[in-house]
Amino acid sequence: MKSHAAVLAAAAFLLHCATLAAAPIDDLVAKAKKEGTLELLAPSTLGPQGAQALAAAFNKKYGLNAKVNYSPSNNMVGDVAKVVTQEAAGARPEWDVMVVTDAHHATLWLRKLHQPFHYAKLGVDPRWVQYDNGTVIMANQFVYPAYNKTALSDKDVPKRWEDLLDRKWKGGKLGMSTTTHHLARLAAGSWGEQRTTEFVKALAKQDLVLGTMGALYTRLQTGEILAIATLTDSYINTAKKAGAPIIHADKIEPVVSPAYNAGVPKGATDPNTGALFAIFLTTVEGQNLWEQYGGQTSAFIPGTTAYKYAQGKKVLYMKPEQAETIDRLSTDYGKILGFQ
Amino acid sequence: MSVTTDAAAARPAAEVRLPGVGLFAGGLTALLALIVGIPLLMVVLMSLRTGFPGEGGPLTLTNFAAVYSNSGTYKVLGNTLLFATGTVFVALLFAVPLVWLLMRTDLPFKGAIYVLMTVGILIPVFLRTIAWILLLSPRIGLVNQWARQLFGMEQPLLSLYNIPGMAVIQGVSFVPSAFFMLAAAYRTMDPALEEAAYTSGVSKLQTFLRINVPITLPAIAGVMVYLFMTAIAVFEVPAIIGYPARIIVLSALIFTSTNPPTGLPNYGLAGAYGAVMLAAGLLLAYFYVRLVQHGKKYTVITGRGYRPREIALGRWKWAALAFALLYLAMEVFIPFLVLVWVSLLPHLQVPSAEAFAQVSLENFRHIFDHVGALPFVNTAILMFVVPTVTMVLSVLVSWIVVRTNVSFRGALDTLAFLPHAIPGILLAVGLAYLGLAYRSWFPVYGTVAIIAIAHTITWIAYGTRTTNGVMIQVHRELEEAGKVSGASTRTVLGRIVLPLIAAGIFNSWIWISMLSYREVTMALTLGTRKNVVISTIVWQFWGNGWVPQVAALGVVLVLFAVIVVGGLKIAFGHLGEWQS
Repeated sequence: MKSHAAVLAAAAFLLHCATLAAAPIDDLVAKAKKEGTLELLAPSTLGPQGAQALAAAFNKKYGLNAKVNYSPSNNMVGDVAKVVTQEAAGARPEWDVMVVTDAHHATLWLRKLHQPFHYAKLGVDPRWVQYDNGTVIMANQFVYPAYNKTALSDKDVPKRWEDLLDRKWKGGKLGMSTTTHHLARLAAGSWGEQRTTEFVKALAKQDLVLGTMGALYTRLQTGEILAIATLTDSYINTAKKAGAPIIHADKIEPVVSPAYNAGVPKGATDPNTGALFAIFLTTVEGQNLWEQYGGQTSAFIPGTTAYKYAQGKKVLYMKPEQAETIDRLSTDYGKILGFQ
Repeated sequence: MSVTTDAAAARPAAEVRLPGVGLFAGGLTALLALIVGIPLLMVVLMSLRTGFPGEGGPLTLTNFAAVYSNSGTYKVLGNTLLFATGTVFVALLFAVPLVWLLMRTDLPFKGAIYVLMTVGILIPVFLRTIAWILLLSPRIGLVNQWARQLFGMEQPLLSLYNIPGMAVIQGVSFVPSAFFMLAAAYRTMDPALEEAAYTSGVSKLQTFLRINVPITLPAIAGVMVYLFMTAIAVFEVPAIIGYPARIIVLSALIFTSTNPPTGLPNYGLAGAYGAVMLAAGLLLAYFYVRLVQHGKKYTVITGRGYRPREIALGRWKWAALAFALLYLAMEVFIPFLVLVWVSLLPHLQVPSAEAFAQVSLENFRHIFDHVGALPFVNTAILMFVVPTVTMVLSVLVSWIVVRTNVSFRGALDTLAFLPHAIPGILLAVGLAYLGLAYRSWFPVYGTVAIIAIAHTITWIAYGTRTTNGVMIQVHRELEEAGKVSGASTRTVLGRIVLPLIAAGIFNSWIWISMLSYREVTMALTLGTRKNVVISTIVWQFWGNGWVPQVAALGVVLVLFAVIVVGGLKIAFGHLGEWQS
């Protein structure tokens, strides 16, 4: 009898614990069920098929029937700027969840434009939660200079960042995209601001071809430019799938690693579905699908492709305390390079 | 566009004198003043403010100080002036001879040329530009590669990464606009002067240069104003050709001020940059109106019946056809071939044996995965609503200007012409500011309605020029007969005037519909997730690096257009400009 009582008590305790543990996410799911279409902003490299696959798995996992509208982002600065502008005007943001880099979320965080959720209580590893519960890290990119292997001989492949300053790159052979935060990360990290700023100024003197990363990727495919100063592995994955001859100069260190963070912008129409989707992206299902279509995984989860890749390399990850510096320098470097 | 720019002055003596017409005209004038004036007021307001729309704050000249104390601004203004002038020059270089050839001569295959010109409009300028990059890029351009192989040249033969290159590509894309705007003037031109010239033994070329061109000068001036203002507002070619080569023009600065590649938007700077655009537009409009006021000597509609005789080109026929084909090659054939080529590849590459091995229809299979239905629905809405509203407003304005004795009809006509002088990007930025800063009063930000409003305002000038023209050609006796028979003003307008001007209205409707389809600058400036249209999708695809996918979409759209335009030509071949 006594043993039965102990078993029952233990079972009741476990059930209680389970209920406690499950309650927040169940609550969130229940709230999400009452909401409408999920407006998702995510990198263009995820692609519409990737977004569809994620939407199907998301609905299946949480028993939802949410329609997911995917907006491919090719200009995260512009997308974040829209949210800032719309908020200032009292308008709702266009998206319920934004998957943009940690540097772009920093712009929102500095202006308190995230809708916080207790992601840790909702089952996300606390180490992945950033910006005062505003976002969760869900994947890492790796950034190097990239080149067209059919147009560039092996001896010309850059081995160090400084190789991009060689005279041989002058005259419109080298592209630089709007992702100036890649360079700002070097400044906030091991290089320091002075060295990086000098590097950027020297880079600006190379007659760079300017454009968005996607546009430069197109020019790189044709051989119109021979290399891009910084290109994310998302495009390398896309190139691999399409058979395009674009590869990273991956001997260069430090490797810049922007993280994709998922977060709900303040005033989102369907915030709970947005937060649930952000959480979903950190689950095994979400990670697998993101790797399959977007090409990345989190470098902070042991065993993932990104985690293994980063081992033994000098990798620069952004910390929230660097947000202000990176936000400021991204704009400054944009001006130096000729984007404004 | 052409013959009727001084419609209020050129109107016949008999006019409609009706009670209530003045009130109606006043209401219409007020409406036009509102829809044209408020976005401009917003541009002025934002140029005097700092911060984001809706944040308020004191008025300041900070933005003007920042913009005009920067020497870079003057370089940009110089680039803009050269680019716009070059663009207008190239457009007219092709458009004026083409319109004469198609409207006044016995050029062979006129029908096919006409349809192909229409089809050319539907090839997105982005894709056309990519085609020219593949041909004329200094490093990879096929023309330059061939030149290297044939002549052993070390330097590229041609490069498009300069202002003349930009002007040629943009100018060629403007030819259909210029052509259709000039078509009415050339089609309805009284042939008496030409015939007199031929009788006097003047050559066809001299007659063209000394009779046709001068007599249509007001029309050409109107087209020049329109093209110039469009050229300083467009940013497709400046973005793809100019930006990478650091040739920055004003439209790019305004666009990047509100859609920055790095940092946050600065609407104040956009307003300050826009002020110079606006001043240039108003100045041009002033000169244009002056030209028209002095232009009664150019009047080409005499009121007497005539049917323009086709001029026999004789031995020049094939040279003229070659000229038309050269233009079509630049506008349609080469871009379309490149479009087809790129659409069949997994990634963009110049033709080679290896590339041929990769050809497939894969991109066509996934078009809808990449696009979805929303851009098609929104584009269809624009293509129907914009021309309909524009033409309704245009008919009403023209009726007052041409057919009534309202004292301020001249002012109404000028007001309707004013949008010609306002660059589209400025109008869009003004509307965006209005939509963001005064959302409760103007709750259309982020909807397809705000793009429709921008397009309607922009093309009301074109609409009214056309309706002025066709209305002048309708003889007043029919209306007077209706009135004598006891018909009301509304009945006369609806049952007599409208059916008589239906062909002209239909032509303009179709043309405005196509302009709305391909317009990208305003749609992007006002764009959000919910009001995405096909033209902005093309821009996004370019930004995403999805060029083969957008090429597949382009091929489908062009084929669709050929079917629709060809069908319309067959169905309405008896009407106006559809008659070749």
